[in-house]
Amino acid sequence: MTEMKLSWPKNYNEVPKEAFTRKDIYAEEIKRIFHGSEWHPVAHESELPNPGDFKTFRMAGVPLLIARDQQGEVRVFYNACSHRGNQLETAVMGNKTEFECPYHRWLFDTKGDLVGCPNHRDFLPGFDRADYPLAQPRFDCFYGLIFVTLSAETEPLLEFLGEAQNTLRELVAGDGRLKLLGYQKVRYDTNWKSYTDNDGYHAPLLHQAFKLLNWQGGKGRQFTATRHGHICFESALSVVSGPTVLKDQSLIEFKGQDPAVGSRIVSLFPTFVSTKHLDVINLRFATPIDEETVEVHYAYFAHQDDDEEMARHRLRQSSNLLGPCGLISMEDASVFHRIHIGNHTPGSAIFQKGVHDPSKLESEFLQNDESGNLPRWEHYRSVMGFERATA
Amino acid sequence: MTRIDTSLEAELDALLLADASALDGKDMLGWLGNYAEEDAASYFCRSAENTEHDLALGFMYDDCRARLEDRVTFVNDIWVGTFQDYRTRHFVQRMNYERLDAGTVGMQSNFSVFMTPEDTGVTQVLAAGQYLDTVRVGRNGELKLLSRRAELDTSVLPRYLVYPI
Repeated sequence: MTEMKLSWPKNYNEVPKEAFTRKDIYAEEIKRIFHGSEWHPVAHESELPNPGDFKTFRMAGVPLLIARDQQGEVRVFYNACSHRGNQLETAVMGNKTEFECPYHRWLFDTKGDLVGCPNHRDFLPGFDRADYPLAQPRFDCFYGLIFVTLSAETEPLLEFLGEAQNTLRELVAGDGRLKLLGYQKVRYDTNWKSYTDNDGYHAPLLHQAFKLLNWQGGKGRQFTATRHGHICFESALSVVSGPTVLKDQSLIEFKGQDPAVGSRIVSLFPTFVSTKHLDVINLRFATPIDEETVEVHYAYFAHQDDDEEMARHRLRQSSNLLGPCGLISMEDASVFHRIHIGNHTPGSAIFQKGVHDPSKLESEFLQNDESGNLPRWEHYRSVMGFERATA
Repeated sequence: MTRIDTSLEAELDALLLADASALDGKDMLGWLGNYAEEDAASYFCRSAENTEHDLALGFMYDDCRARLEDRVTFVNDIWVGTFQDYRTRHFVQRMNYERLDAGTVGMQSNFSVFMTPEDTGVTQVLAAGQYLDTVRVGRNGELKLLSRRAELDTSVLPRYLVYPI
């Protein structure tokens, strides 16, 4: 691989701002991280509940087609015809029994098998349809959450998730039996690493809403899982009682069965953030567009066993609480933009809160510590091959 | 529609423009004032993509008067000083309307919204789509929004939303 020059500081709590802005570094990240030995969540099975349901998604530019066949099995394909590589399906989601490429009318079933191609007598001698199914990346599934990796070297999914498994399982309601409520999709003018640095970690000082709603922050656990530096948060919510500034209290009402841990966040390297906050279940499929832009698809879910009232509550809470217009997260989105602008200045971003000794990495943190991001940065540095300064 | 009702059309257009004007002026109380003073008054902002797939989730889901009032509080009190501000210009055009009953009119309009962030000064399209409105005709003939659904063709927003569309 190409050797890139980037002077990485000696201290673990410093990240050179150049890493967020250089085009050559971004191109190398695509190779080493997005096409490399990492697992990338691309969908949850509940987004395609019925036979024939499909979803398309571009993971760092790579077009994917995720489809449930007539027997109910979900597979991931490259969304490209096995003939000349034409994009096969253009819809973002839908239901089909077959996928037809309009270019030469090659026809595939929902298992990815080539079931029709006109004029094949004109093809190479010995042409056999069985040799041309839709190509597939490696994929695996954890409680309905579908992961893709483009490398044969990546460790098995369960190993990749490691200690994050438990928090992630609880976050998808313990059994992954979810029901899709809908999407909020947005592009942020920020490098993908600024997005992941700031989407899971929450600066309590930023959140005016927390103060006005009389929410206490900071009572929870944050820990790192695996060498990839995944971050898990588990915290109790002090549910608001007494008067607030809101006239419709249902927005911040907690009807769930999990009061001891009202809030969970799992942030997986490189770009995936998921949260269960109050009664909102939210999986954020994020992908870089270029070095200055990240696209995030916030998918929201109810549970299959919810009664009508609970499903309606989740819908009303999910639409207005989190995401790019949410009461308690709109300002996060603004910070993504501003951090990226600020990163076009010399020097390093310096993490302070929760750092006890800048020459050491820890793996347990307090809820509001920014140091929880540091193990992930160490993994990033090592994957990218940047040498840490010795003095 | 059997006959063109020019005075109703003029009033519907005035309501459309009053809402555009309140939003572009960041006048959230003015925005609220365009809605009927009924508990059922509602505003939804949602991608057409969600709607077409029977997914009810929105960017904004204000299904009662209390939530409309809370949206004013979000913008005027809670979010102050936390975001990069931007100007908007709403362009609206009535496409269709029909009297639903003596007290309500259904109206469909197109909109496009430009945004200009204060820091970059570069104008871009924030969203395009349709307003699907139910308009309440008051006792004295005045028109208010009983329900507005802003259905966005823009399924991927170019930025977070502070103000309703």
